[in-house]
Amino acid sequence: MSDSEQDETGAGAVMPSRRTVLVLGAAAASTVVTIRPALAQTAGSVLNCEIPVPGPHAAGSYIGADGTPVAAGTPGAAPPLARPLSGEQARVLLRGSTPPGVNPQSAQAYANYIRRLQAGMSGFTCYASLQMPR
Amino acid sequence: MAAPRYIADPEDQVRIVALDGLSVIFHAPSGMTHIVAPPTPEILTALRKGPADAAELLRRLSAHYEIEGDDVAARLNELEAAGLVRRA
Repeated sequence: MSDSEQDETGAGAVMPSRRTVLVLGAAAASTVVTIRPALAQTAGSVLNCEIPVPGPHAAGSYIGADGTPVAAGTPGAAPPLARPLSGEQARVLLRGSTPPGVNPQSAQAYANYIRRLQAGMSGFTCYASLQMPR
Repeated sequence: MAAPRYIADPEDQVRIVALDGLSVIFHAPSGMTHIVAPPTPEILTALRKGPADAAELLRRLSAHYEIEGDDVAARLNELEAAGLVRRA
């Protein structure tokens, strides 16, 4: 955004004074996560959501220490997880701890992978939900 | 069959707070809170100018942004399912 001056519309969205790129995304990519009023239900659904590490876009890749997918077998990289992380496991990882079933030496790489998730990537909506204070 | 036209609730009923790359929307009529990624806030802002179908919405957005992708109908379907827009 360094090359665009922006002004608030007052609606929370930003209308650029210079043209910036707006990606509409693919049909399968979700851009909305709804937090339902029933907080207990929300907490349950968030903690039961899943984050594959890595996602299908990088299936089979190892995870580098900075969270980026790297070639399988790369020295020092963490192997892909056999099963997706649950929301609760992801939350523990993001707090800097190691949940049961995860190799402590790989935990930081997995946490960094989660932090790099972007809209449209598998697991992003789960990660975004975890960011909401409850 | 004419393309469906959509409308968003007025600004005073939808609170949008921009966070780091995402936005949180509180939709007062439903009491629901949503975490959204672009282009959702931009679409809601564009729809406040009045009802629009997908083509008209794309035209409004193109007036302000360089658009990548053309699946605005998918975004509208998603927003309708979330209750953030409705058929006009």
